[in-house]
Amino acid sequence: MEESGTKRLAISGIILVGIAYFLVCAQPLPKELALIPVWARGLADAPATPASTPALGDVHSFRLGDKFGYFSSSGKILFSAPVPFGLALSSDSYALYDKDSTGFSVRTPTGSELFKASIPGYPFFAAGRRFVMGTAQDSVSELDSSGHRAWTYEFPSIVTAFGASPGLAVFGLMDGSLVGLDRSGKDVMHFSSGGSSIPGIYGVAVSPDGDLVAAIAGLDKQRLVVLEKRYSAYRVTWHRWLDSDFRRPVAISFTSDGKRLMYEVPGGVGVFERDSRKGYTIAATTADRLGLSLRGWNIMVLLSGSQDSRRLICAAAPDRRLVDIPVSASQTFINLDGSSIYLGVDEDIVRLDLREE
Amino acid sequence: MRAATSRRSGEKRLGAWLVVAGLLCGALGALWAMDWPVESPKLAATFGTPAAGRVVTGVAIAASNGLVRSIDDGELAFAFDEATTPSGLPSTLGSFAVVEHPNDMAAVYAHLLPGSVSDYLTTVKRGTILGSVGASGWTEGPGLLLEIFDRRKSNWVNPLLLLPALPDGNAPAIRSVTLMNGEKSYALGEAKSVPQGTYEIAADITDATDAPWTAGPLAPYVIRLSVDGTELSREVFDVAFGKRGRLSLFSSSPRLLSELRTEDGRYLLSEHLFTRGRSIIELSVEDIAGNRRDMTWAVSIQ
Repeated sequence: MEESGTKRLAISGIILVGIAYFLVCAQPLPKELALIPVWARGLADAPATPASTPALGDVHSFRLGDKFGYFSSSGKILFSAPVPFGLALSSDSYALYDKDSTGFSVRTPTGSELFKASIPGYPFFAAGRRFVMGTAQDSVSELDSSGHRAWTYEFPSIVTAFGASPGLAVFGLMDGSLVGLDRSGKDVMHFSSGGSSIPGIYGVAVSPDGDLVAAIAGLDKQRLVVLEKRYSAYRVTWHRWLDSDFRRPVAISFTSDGKRLMYEVPGGVGVFERDSRKGYTIAATTADRLGLSLRGWNIMVLLSGSQDSRRLICAAAPDRRLVDIPVSASQTFINLDGSSIYLGVDEDIVRLDLREE
Repeated sequence: MRAATSRRSGEKRLGAWLVVAGLLCGALGALWAMDWPVESPKLAATFGTPAAGRVVTGVAIAASNGLVRSIDDGELAFAFDEATTPSGLPSTLGSFAVVEHPNDMAAVYAHLLPGSVSDYLTTVKRGTILGSVGASGWTEGPGLLLEIFDRRKSNWVNPLLLLPALPDGNAPAIRSVTLMNGEKSYALGEAKSVPQGTYEIAADITDATDAPWTAGPLAPYVIRLSVDGTELSREVFDVAFGKRGRLSLFSSSPRLLSELRTEDGRYLLSEHLFTRGRSIIELSVEDIAGNRRDMTWAVSIQ
């Protein structure tokens, strides 16, 4: 009789502990990350000339091989036009130019002319700024909002790399130096890389706030240098010798939130974490679209591989693959906005949204 | 005493011979230092020729096809091929290669045919094929632009100082010299008298117009301008350097490349205040082969 009471007590205790554990310690199952297709549009049916009426929603630019144009986040293709020779493109304007260009028109996504610029050379747009590369690749001019030359800077050797933020444009030169110019064309940063037997700058990136400048420099050995703005001067804050031996332009870019630097390394993508000052590698084939991160998500997105064998990779640090899908196309582009990925594949543009479900 | 003098004189002679031998070796070394990058080159522009608002800092070789070869042993330092390399930066040099040659000389081979750049190379020998002649990038015609950068001194060097000399027996041509004051201009030789005032002196000069290897108006090597026995300017087209955002021609008084030429391609030599009386203007022009032409004008200043 006494034995059966003890048993009952023990069973009740176990049940109570179980209920208490369930109430106190149990956690809901984590939501899964999913890439949801929102829309897909073919460029074949898109108008060949800019529409005079603006599209609803945000407007994004694209270039796919010899075609370029704009589309809205809602999936309207404003136009898809051919690129006869050269194109400078941003989300708010574009300029087509000839091989021996002495001037060009800058137009809005709706096709209206903002201004005409009469400067020999090739235009290029970055970080909301409009530049013109001089005819000998050793000088750069910036255009003001009416198309006039705001300033011209002549470099001691030819320009091989470039990166910009709204307040700082950094040019990498064949002689191994970096020259940073502010909005008035004044040189506010000068750095000469050393330690390699052949100097040279193969890639440059500037963080969106302009406080970090990174460069792939030199041959034998090649290295990554990260400079940080302290007070008014830029000083080396991190550097790493690389196994690479690139003798061509190298892809390097900060993520849009500025928290990470991504750069091309043999067999993958190198990542430098701004806050922790740590570096690691994401294994992938060569990547030429780097440095993209989804706003509000701690996720890096990159398009790796080369023609016809690309992969869309979404990864969390350090190298935890969340998405890895093949992209079969000879021409591609990728744009990110919020939690949306806009992927261009040959004749189509697809919107994919990242969601937790 | 005599022995000491004789020994000293012998040492002097030996020293002199060593200097001569050194100079000869240097000259021979310079003579065969580098090869032309293309066969039978025809020069379209040389260091100092006007181009798109400034002057060329290399040598442009006109050619519609053919191979581009390394001018010396070296190492490929940079290759950009429009056809295969993605880049967000436009290249007005088109497809190009940079080769690191001995003595810290880096040569830029520009406007190559897209798709032809030998970007797989690392070390190169003299004569190694770097690509094919093309017309890529911003160029006034098909051919090759060769520029040489001296890394030690951080300046552009006139390639004609390092490449084998081309036969040239003719002195440069002085087509005209003009005194310019605002909208008024007076061509020397036509105007016998000019009003007193400050004038800019511009000269139209070309070199080697008759040579079989010429395919365009070439620049001279030295221009000297004197007025009444005083040298006003001495431009030597040997090196150009960049400083504080401007490219200048290295000379006794460095001139900005962008300010060295008028819009119609004449050399803007100097500015001078001419006062009443008679002025003698002397212009001396020399090419890289040492051929020289001197001209003098007497002008009455009213």
